[in-house]
Amino acid sequence: MAGINPSVLRLLWTRFAWRHWKMSPVSSFLLLLILATGVAAFFSIRLANLAALEGFKNFTSLITSQSDGIITAPVGKLSDAILPELRQLLGNLPVNLVPVLETSAVEPGASEPQAIGSRPTFQLVGLDLPALMNLDGQADHEPGWFGSGTSSRTNQSPNGFSTILRDGISVFVNPFLAGQKGLKVGSPLTLVINEHEVTLRVAGNIPTVPGQAAAPPDLLIMDLPALQRLTDQPGQLDRVEFVLEEGPHREEQWQQARQKLESANPAGHPRWVVGSPSTRRAAAATMTGAFRLNLTILSLLALLVGLYLVFQGLDGAVVRRRGEIAVLRSLGVTSGQIQVAWLVEAACMGLAGGAIGLVLGWVGAQFAVKMVTRTVNALYFSSSAHSAPFDFGEAGMALALSLVAGLFAGWRPARAAANTPPAQIAVRAGAVPYPGGMLLRQPQLGFLLAILGTVLICFPPVRLAGGGRLPVAAYGAALCWIFGAGIFSGSFLSWLGGSLSRFQINSVPLRLACSHLREPSGRHRLLVASLVCAIGMTAGMAILVGSFDATMRGWIARTFQADLYISSDGAQTASSSSRISQPTWRQVVTLPCVERANIIQVMDIKLGGASTLLVGNRLSFFRDYAHPAWVQPPLSDEVFDPARNSRLALASEAFSERFQLHRGDEVRVPTPGGFQRVTLAGIFSDYGNERGSLLIEQGQFAQWYGNELAASLILALKPGWDAEAVRAELRAGHPGLGVFTSRYLRGESLRIFHQTFAVTYALELIGVVVAIAGLAFTMASLLWERRNDMNTLRALGLRRGELARAAAWEGALTAVAGVFWGLAVSLALGWLLIYRINKQTFGWTLQTARPWGQLCALALLVLFSAVVAGWCTGRWGARLPAEREE
Amino acid sequence: MTMNSKRISFNSTKVFVIRFGAMVMLMGCLSRAAGFSGQTKDGFAIPQPGRHFVFPRDHGSHPDFAIEWWYITGHLSAPNERQFGFQATFFRLALAPPGAVVRSSSAAFGSQQIYMAHMALVDKNSGRFVYQERLNRDGWDAYSSTNTLDVRNGNWSLRLLSGKTNDFANDSDNVSEKIELQASIGADASFDLDLKPQKPLVVFGVDGVSRKASDPAAASHYLTYPLLAVKGWLNPGETNLAVAGQAWMDHEFSSSQLGAGQVGWDWLSLQLEDGRELMAYRMRRNDGSTDPFSTVAWIDQAGKVLQVGPRDFKWTILDHWHSTHTQADYPSLVKLEALNPFTGRVETFIVQPFVADQELAGRSGQAAYWEGASRVLDVNKKQIGLAYMELTGYAKSLNGRL
Repeated sequence: MAGINPSVLRLLWTRFAWRHWKMSPVSSFLLLLILATGVAAFFSIRLANLAALEGFKNFTSLITSQSDGIITAPVGKLSDAILPELRQLLGNLPVNLVPVLETSAVEPGASEPQAIGSRPTFQLVGLDLPALMNLDGQADHEPGWFGSGTSSRTNQSPNGFSTILRDGISVFVNPFLAGQKGLKVGSPLTLVINEHEVTLRVAGNIPTVPGQAAAPPDLLIMDLPALQRLTDQPGQLDRVEFVLEEGPHREEQWQQARQKLESANPAGHPRWVVGSPSTRRAAAATMTGAFRLNLTILSLLALLVGLYLVFQGLDGAVVRRRGEIAVLRSLGVTSGQIQVAWLVEAACMGLAGGAIGLVLGWVGAQFAVKMVTRTVNALYFSSSAHSAPFDFGEAGMALALSLVAGLFAGWRPARAAANTPPAQIAVRAGAVPYPGGMLLRQPQLGFLLAILGTVLICFPPVRLAGGGRLPVAAYGAALCWIFGAGIFSGSFLSWLGGSLSRFQINSVPLRLACSHLREPSGRHRLLVASLVCAIGMTAGMAILVGSFDATMRGWIARTFQADLYISSDGAQTASSSSRISQPTWRQVVTLPCVERANIIQVMDIKLGGASTLLVGNRLSFFRDYAHPAWVQPPLSDEVFDPARNSRLALASEAFSERFQLHRGDEVRVPTPGGFQRVTLAGIFSDYGNERGSLLIEQGQFAQWYGNELAASLILALKPGWDAEAVRAELRAGHPGLGVFTSRYLRGESLRIFHQTFAVTYALELIGVVVAIAGLAFTMASLLWERRNDMNTLRALGLRRGELARAAAWEGALTAVAGVFWGLAVSLALGWLLIYRINKQTFGWTLQTARPWGQLCALALLVLFSAVVAGWCTGRWGARLPAEREE
Repeated sequence: MTMNSKRISFNSTKVFVIRFGAMVMLMGCLSRAAGFSGQTKDGFAIPQPGRHFVFPRDHGSHPDFAIEWWYITGHLSAPNERQFGFQATFFRLALAPPGAVVRSSSAAFGSQQIYMAHMALVDKNSGRFVYQERLNRDGWDAYSSTNTLDVRNGNWSLRLLSGKTNDFANDSDNVSEKIELQASIGADASFDLDLKPQKPLVVFGVDGVSRKASDPAAASHYLTYPLLAVKGWLNPGETNLAVAGQAWMDHEFSSSQLGAGQVGWDWLSLQLEDGRELMAYRMRRNDGSTDPFSTVAWIDQAGKVLQVGPRDFKWTILDHWHSTHTQADYPSLVKLEALNPFTGRVETFIVQPFVADQELAGRSGQAAYWEGASRVLDVNKKQIGLAYMELTGYAKSLNGRL
């Protein structure tokens, strides 16, 4: 924009833009608030996502500072026997090796079943405590791990090493937790670890490393061998972290170490996987990528609806200020200067709205983080996020988004303003209707968009690293259909107004409303398009969730057919690592009341870099009591007969979709003894997880992995035994076991399912609220523009009440058009979400259900809100004076 | 000579010496009152006279004793006249006597022993002093063999390269033994040194037992190589340097160390250019006096040892160095006047540090001490040898903690 004089711009800003903002502070603030709401929804979800991921970060990083590298087992656990080998391998390199074992634990619950996931879960981390003293910063704080400070003020165990290392029950806690529970050195702390209730002894507070955040309240730390013993995992580790000495050659030395580790790792039969904290976090990010992206897209709903409204606001301002623009043009202000001034105003609005949105978003994130974390815990991994700290990177992104939204919404109005000819000064300002929204007046564009959307749905998803899939084309199709429906709805509004006008209507307000809608302004068209967008997406999501709900109900009723379901009482989330030891499960499954039992063993494995679940199962039990719905049924019973099952497996639909494997295909399963081949005998529907499950015979699982820890047990009781009575007896005998009847578990599964969708509902609600607020705002703007007409009508004898009713009719008819096209597009979006976006992202086939009750309620809510908003603004408009600048 | 397995015993009158770094915190829990019946109350062994040392087994660890250390100090020369001093110390401290029941323990993560180690390097030319301390439990990352000298703590190791047995007292061919020391100090330095004994092993004490206080249970078995030739490479942070020099190595094991009323000690090892060595030890009491167990030991060119008591030597402080790290004042410039029992004449040595700041300031739980490479001057200020000096109990009294 060469040639733009800054002083002219400043003058334009103060006299032209800022003056108008000051004269109508309420409407200006409302516009900012609409933009801010959209930004806030986006920002809060991004912060909540980030916090949920942060909650997954290495707890050890709080103790060890940043590790340079990590090794994990290709599958399962690492043996601590590799540690001397690693030390030997690394030779004289100055590197600290930090072996880690992690598990989860909860406080004992009541004997009656409690809501699953309702009890807080602790992350119990086992570390080699004496060796921590070798890490930077560890030995410099007081009182340290062993009450070893040089001062006498210590709250740690006076017995130091000899007690902490030898009693096997010493645990370090967060100071906040200690204060909350009144824990002191020596206090008992009873937890459920695996299926055992264990009373630990508090040895002190977890020391804070300078420069590191304080440990979260749910973090507990024990000496590593003690945790190995308590979790029945002798000699096992989750990972080994490598911390090099601080210095200029640290990175170079880690590369040397990495090279040594990788060169000693046979490619055909890898013994460990070398990674880093960032790759581990990236793996978590990959695992949840689709989920987080879906939430982000959903969070943009409010901003998208808000964009329509901001566009309207700026477009309306062009109309109102045309007279001034014409005067300015006559005084020599160029069209370029007018356009720049307008864009600066739009940018300022974007930034101001964004700033308000950051504040609202941060507050919203504190609520959203709980919902997001709950879902992440239920579906993916254990995350301990309790709050969402402000993140400047995300804030910058949200602010940029708001700025772009402001400029995007302001671009066309700016051009319109710049094109206002000076000759207009001769025309009375506002007398000539400003057409506006030219694109929305092109029904053929709506057709084109509808066709483009239909073409896009034929494209497959983009496959991400780590097995994630992103249905980019399907999202594009959704946008095309939403915008297309928005254009159609404007034409529909015109048709509606015209059709009603043809009837002999006695009601003056209705005729007045119809006369305005027969040739709807750009503002009307934008309003109805924004309603279509909000209603379409909200109703579309309602259809998806309703379909999910119906499918889940059927699946739950079909799957939970056995009598009792048993897991560790510490297994409060799907990601829990709590297990049942072999002696306990053997004792349970051999009880006289048990007719048949299934022992479920679960392990995370990676196939081609993508994570999935390997499940050891008694497959005949699975067939008889889970009644799987087959996508591809087994062709024979061989897979269900352990005697005849020679390396046959069953896979969930999500597994099949994720790895593009079908019945008859072979899978190479990583085991500690190398890869084992299994053939897929059948594919079944499953909604337990999106990573997919591969089911093999339990005996095979135990043999391959040398692991007898059960994730859960399922019991079918002999006739005549009462499940409730057996449950009570089992709980009395094993207080560390969670024992549930099938009826209870069905209810809990549905509750958890609805809980995971809570954040979705919240985002939908924001979209609808923005749309309704926009409706009120637009009606107010329309009436403001028509204030002279209304004064004329009042002079002709119309009462204020009639004018208010006319506005109410106008709002209602606009809402009818919005609801009609919104619901129409929602049916298409519902189909798209179920059969494309959901299928491509999660691999789940859902049965379609249309929650007509919910859709009707949504339609009525919008109609009612429109009538109320129209009537209220009509009453307000009827009082406006005829001549006032603004 | 070949190093056949032979048993030896010592009955000569020799001095004892206590060498320790700063493992105060750990040893605090080992301050076991001992009876004198062969075992402490906790069940650890008490050194017994007439012990037959068998090598290389007795170079290794003795887990029936509560405390054990291997302690090397030395001086290195590199091309371009660069001079260095180094210290390498490996400690073993038992948390429980052998056979004690421990609930939480495994082969990889033991709970019977704790290993501490200190490494330090001083650049005599630039004055740069770096050090590092390390702590590990017995298991995968720290251990000491009970069969030979093979001690590890993280990536630091000290081991006898030859597996041959050896009778140091009677066999003149013990110089064929080679000890390897590998270590690094943070990211600041690393070294890989071969140490070869140039003189026979010395066993201090009476009949193989080195008593430390009037309590007969406060005693140790104390073995020393007074002179080792050193070769290898050193990376002081910029590049690898070929180095050569000389070192002193102690190996001591016991179950109880300090006597009542003792607050610290000053210790010296002198390696004179004429082929003699001296070890001087002054134990300081609460009232500032020198404990009667203080001594100076003279080792002649042939390796023969004679001792004199505190009435036969005078330890004069010539100057102090004030530590800004710990605010301690270390008497690091001293004059030692001692009666030479071989000649009956009094000789004078001035011990002067190459670098003032050689304080191991101590991390949490470990008391600060000063362990410094020094030169030995005669009365005419002519350098006549090299020394290492240890000064403890100046930052904080060790009484009751060791």
